[in-house]
Amino acid sequence: MEFAELIKTSRVESVVLAGAGLPPARGTLCITSHHLLLSSRPGGAGAAATVELWLLIRNVDAVEKRLCGSSGTITLRCKDLRVLQLEIPGMEECLNVASSIEALSSVDSLMMMYPFFYRPQGLRLEDGWHLFPLERFFQCIAAQTNQWRLSAVNKDFSTCPTYPPALIVPAAVDDGALRKAARFRHGGRFPVLSYYHRKNGTVMLRSGQPLTGPNRKRCPEDELLLAAALAQAARGFVVDTRSLQAAKQARMGGGGTEPKSAYPRWKRLHRPLERGRPLQESFVRLVDACNDASLSMDRWLSRLESSRWLSHVKAALSTACLAAQCLEREEACVLVHGAEGTDTTLLVTALAQLILDPSCRTLAGFQGLLEREWIQAGHPFHVRCARSAYSHARLKQEAPLFLLFLDCVWQLGRQFPRSLEFGERLLLALFDSAYASSYGTFLGNNEKER
Amino acid sequence: MEFAELIKTPRVDNVVLHRPFYPAVEGTLCLTGHHLILSSRRQDDAEELWLLHSNIDSIEKRFVGSLGTIIIKCKDLRIIQLDIPGMEECLNIASSIEALSTLDSVTLMYPFFYRPMFEVVEDGWRSFLPEQEFELLSSLTDEWRLSCINKEFSVCPSYPAVVIVPKSIDDEALRKVAVFRHGSRFPVLSYYHKKNGMVMMRSSQPLTGTNGRRCKEDEKLINATLRAGKRGYIIDTRSLNVAQQARAKGGGFEQEAHYPQWRRIHKSIERFNILQESLIKLVEACNDQSHNMDRWLSKLEASNWLTHIKEILTAACLAAQCIDREGASVLVHGTEGTDSTLQVTSLAQIILDPRCRTIRGFESLVVREWLQAGHPFQQRCAQSAYSNSKQKWEAPVFLLFLDCVWQILRQFPCSFEFNEHFLIMLFEHAYASQFGTFLGNNENERSKLKLQQKTMSLWSWVNRPQELNKYKNPLFEANSLVIWPSVAPQSLQLWEGVFLRWNRSSKFLDEAYEEMVTLIEYNKQLKAKVNALRRQLAELETDDRMQENA
Repeated sequence: MEFAELIKTSRVESVVLAGAGLPPARGTLCITSHHLLLSSRPGGAGAAATVELWLLIRNVDAVEKRLCGSSGTITLRCKDLRVLQLEIPGMEECLNVASSIEALSSVDSLMMMYPFFYRPQGLRLEDGWHLFPLERFFQCIAAQTNQWRLSAVNKDFSTCPTYPPALIVPAAVDDGALRKAARFRHGGRFPVLSYYHRKNGTVMLRSGQPLTGPNRKRCPEDELLLAAALAQAARGFVVDTRSLQAAKQARMGGGGTEPKSAYPRWKRLHRPLERGRPLQESFVRLVDACNDASLSMDRWLSRLESSRWLSHVKAALSTACLAAQCLEREEACVLVHGAEGTDTTLLVTALAQLILDPSCRTLAGFQGLLEREWIQAGHPFHVRCARSAYSHARLKQEAPLFLLFLDCVWQLGRQFPRSLEFGERLLLALFDSAYASSYGTFLGNNEKER
Repeated sequence: MEFAELIKTPRVDNVVLHRPFYPAVEGTLCLTGHHLILSSRRQDDAEELWLLHSNIDSIEKRFVGSLGTIIIKCKDLRIIQLDIPGMEECLNIASSIEALSTLDSVTLMYPFFYRPMFEVVEDGWRSFLPEQEFELLSSLTDEWRLSCINKEFSVCPSYPAVVIVPKSIDDEALRKVAVFRHGSRFPVLSYYHKKNGMVMMRSSQPLTGTNGRRCKEDEKLINATLRAGKRGYIIDTRSLNVAQQARAKGGGFEQEAHYPQWRRIHKSIERFNILQESLIKLVEACNDQSHNMDRWLSKLEASNWLTHIKEILTAACLAAQCIDREGASVLVHGTEGTDSTLQVTSLAQIILDPRCRTIRGFESLVVREWLQAGHPFQQRCAQSAYSNSKQKWEAPVFLLFLDCVWQILRQFPCSFEFNEHFLIMLFEHAYASQFGTFLGNNENERSKLKLQQKTMSLWSWVNRPQELNKYKNPLFEANSLVIWPSVAPQSLQLWEGVFLRWNRSSKFLDEAYEEMVTLIEYNKQLKAKVNALRRQLAELETDDRMQENA
């Protein structure tokens, strides 16, 4: 399939661009395989052109057309929450432009995305991909203790398709046991080390839910793994991001929780965190409320409340604080999991590390955290960030977990202004990039796909 | 009456003080005629607490065995706890505090007893005289005059001794106009807009009553501010309904038939008695420790505080737009002309006039539009959000104004010479102060109390450089803009600096602020150094050239 086939009209003169708080600009609109460009000549013909708009079409969430006489207005609602309007002279051109944008923005094939075509000047293509190898992270731990080892059991992704090829596991547990433990966990996501708390040697692990099922199956290898992880610590806490009820119901579907009898030194705590469709709806309602400046104060506050977004932020931060307290104050180990272990689990482990570990608050440390706890850990970015808050399309697996994480980081930055080496701008850039980017970092759902 | 009579027990040892952000500390509690003092033996009798009785809103007593606890809730929204050994001492202290904090007579208040410990360089009482304001005005226009008709406060008891009125209106006419306006508050000049010569006047409601009374002198007065063929706007801070109902009680609004050149706009602002309830609900919401997001947001909404902010800012923006964009003169009034009217006129000036955003300009604004204009501070700030007694005239009208200023300051961080702390300081002093500035309800009362002779002015203290430095905004860049704040609900936020001040330590925010101040100072020093080096370089180059030519 050629991109050219999808572009009905590649160039229209005299288009007016409005929106996003900028004064309107008139210029020539160009549609390329991946971008929408509008360039104007503010100084008149002969003067240098100003690029008023350089938009990745992938960034477009929804397209609306309104025809009025012989011209039309296209409203583009973007995944970065911008709303832009293009006034296009000529009804046919308007319809062509709209359908071209719709077609191009619906291209789902990963290999067709812009990062595969982007050739920036002055940057080598290999930079960045190897900045944060897990081996280096492991060195810091190995320097403190010999209780852990780096396992290559997943190097061909056969043990767990959503885990990276290298994993940190207890030294006392061999690869054979790991494979068996993987069969006992949702998606093969057996417990692995997420963070080692240098101050007292406690660790935070993450995983998927145990597949105890209605028959209360057990897995001695999984129990061995968790017992080895505890090592000298007196006890551990399992932070389950599902409500007690949801966790119980999961048993009927083959999932479940760690039974007390099999994991005697682990105490289970339930801290339900929203994910999936309800979280996406919360996001949509919030953006809706924010965009209506004509609201009365009452309506604004009640819509803010009914979107429940801030409740989700609070719940995420509370749970992360809880995990951090277990490690720092109770001197106990922590295992975090929900159902799949790819969403709320990562939210908690990443935030807990920001609370506990000052090195995660440096610019390099934060990037390393994102790489480990979100990208390599297998958060399914491609399906979660396919569509954002404006999309009219039928949503499948979209959910703004990563945005929720960035919001929580922003809250931390606001309360502790001197403790983060990066500012709000980095967080905004990360939000934008997760949904549409010239770079390949957020493409795909896990290391195997990448 | 001696203060000593009211103090049952002047001194108790081994009292434990609990206050926000500090660990509990034990010391000796002393009660004086005006203060509650706790000094500990920590570091040479350090004074841990020095609280004005007039800052106390309410107290509660609790007993556990023979240990009594007094919880003191202050007008600045702080909550303090004293653990007092001995039930009798506790009861005595509690009843002494209650008596001392509910004194009726103004002349018993602390400002009359305060002896400043600093050298008085500037007498704040004489810093912002109406004559000085008028001098500034006459350099711009000669259409106005200073009238002394009220110098005995006999024409309007709540106005100052001198007012600015159109030149073409004589004192006799003013007398007639005063009869036609509620509380005799006839229209006077509030603000002159240099850019286009338009003016803002304020007054109280016209007493049209059910018979549709008119007063030709009143019509002539406000028409004198109109340019030939141009219209003016009357901004009524009551809804149309309320304004119409006012007629039944003798009040009313300017009828189109009698004021054909004026267009009336109603921009309803809540009346003062509702505002106190709003403050109480807001403070209660802020103190709610249940940590429930839904409950917080719905309590915040139910308090309606932010709704009031939005109403007031909207009305002020409207007034400013009429003057600056429509190029029309404006008359603002509500019912009495002492509350919402002043909120609108003072905020409109913040929007329109860069001078009001400087420290001295803002002080002058507060003095003109609030103190001299007769906002009844004594009544409005008698009690705050924690009071248990029945409230009649209390309302946080001035606090709402300060909150609105803070909203604008937040939206335009480089446009104000003062910072948030300055506004918070004014909030505190309006409710309880060692200075006499906010005592009394109007200039008439202040004159009778001889405040200028017997008390110190807040401005004398604040305007000293060592004090003023704390209140300067390091980001300030003087500009001559008219600044238009956004009144969209998403743009208005809770003033954490006042309402969450005691709930959450601002330590990290303060550190960040200090860092910012240091960075800006360092930047200035570097710039100065660069300039000095450039000058040096230029001199050396000139020397070089001279040598070459020689």
